[in-house]
Amino acid sequence: MNIVVGVGDMKVSNDPDAVLVTYALGSCIGIGIYDPVAKVGGVLHYMLPDSEIDPEKAKKNPFMFGNTGIPLLFKETYKFGAAKNRLKVLVLGGAQILDQNGLFNIGKRNHTVLRKMFWKNNIIVDFEEVGGTVNRTIKLEVKTGEAIMKVCGTEVRRIPWI
Amino acid sequence: MDLEKIIKNIDSLSPVSSTGTKIMEIISNPDSSLGEIVEVIQYDQSMTANLLKICNSSFFALREKVVSVRQAVSYLGMNNIANIVIMGNFSKNFNTSQDGYGLNEGELWKYSVSSAVIAQGLAEKRNVKNIPRLFTSALLKDIGKVVLSNYVQDAFKEIELKVQEDGMTFLQAEREVLGIDHAELGAMVAEKWNFNPEMVFVIRNHHNPINILIQDNPSIPIIYLADSICMMIGIGGGSDGLAYKYYQEVVDRLNFTEVELQKTIADFWEKTKAVEEMVTLSGGR
Repeated sequence: MNIVVGVGDMKVSNDPDAVLVTYALGSCIGIGIYDPVAKVGGVLHYMLPDSEIDPEKAKKNPFMFGNTGIPLLFKETYKFGAAKNRLKVLVLGGAQILDQNGLFNIGKRNHTVLRKMFWKNNIIVDFEEVGGTVNRTIKLEVKTGEAIMKVCGTEVRRIPWI
Repeated sequence: MDLEKIIKNIDSLSPVSSTGTKIMEIISNPDSSLGEIVEVIQYDQSMTANLLKICNSSFFALREKVVSVRQAVSYLGMNNIANIVIMGNFSKNFNTSQDGYGLNEGELWKYSVSSAVIAQGLAEKRNVKNIPRLFTSALLKDIGKVVLSNYVQDAFKEIELKVQEDGMTFLQAEREVLGIDHAELGAMVAEKWNFNPEMVFVIRNHHNPINILIQDNPSIPIIYLADSICMMIGIGGGSDGLAYKYYQEVVDRLNFTEVELQKTIADFWEKTKAVEEMVTLSGGR
């Protein structure tokens, strides 16, 4: 059963029948995490780096922003018995239009916020494919932790992260 | 690749209805008043019914239900009414899949409506005069993809190689491999449909806005920026992805800050569900 993680959305599940899917990551970032012991997985799809531009919106929907969405993704899996030291982490997205530089490069800024937070919290990324000009899709099978990615227009690839 | 054959493929598009043609004339002609649209549509029951459905949808979130076109005009203003009528009259050609671009049925329409809605929002803040003209250009700028999709599909490996290895934009690669790109084809469609020359111009140059900065027309940077925002969010994201050129100098013409960019993206998120409803209703005629 596919559970779709929309844009600015997060889903966590330990249902062995569930497959978490998020489509068409452009400059947005998709993070998938999985604990192979507790067999719980989660996917976050955030659009913007930092909630400081609109704290009200972040209250309504923290998953829109990296700085508010990322901690909640991890915390939510802990509720299902996940342990930080066992979590596998994959990161996809952060694409950019050609020659997009500086502050308008939302893809790069989305990635930067993640790197800062992961570094501060000692989180190691097991698989990452970020940047470029492509749209990416993630599928994560909760039962096994098998994950696949699809770059629109190309073949599906298995993600070597477990 | 037989260029003539590709261009001939324009004829396979569904023709614009006589109502659609009349409405485009009203929008294109500077001497017409948008109010004339009401006269054109008021005797067309299905069009009126659909118009009212969209007016009463969550996108406009009216407190009271509108039951007549006149009431709809007074609540939503003529610009919105014109835009809704345009959507209803031009959605038909967008409802197939565009496999060459990796787009499922309805995804190109969703992209087009989203981009037009964002463009309208930006235009209203900048006091652009003819909103329906801008909305229509933003809505129909990718009609060339409908014509070109099958050819892109056949030559996809070659196009992709030029993008990934040679660093070309998807548009350049289309032109290099197929002899024509979707923007040029879209402009040819717009000409065939007798669109106003300014709209043809915008459609032709929507990925190359730098060509036309000499013209003092905010519509061009606005449509370009709205398109860029949709690419970043990944709405209806296809196999051409974000492989187009970004021109900061075009965006700067609008005095558009990066904070405003982020706020526009966040605001659009709040409207996602309502836009999706409008996408369905406007394509469902």
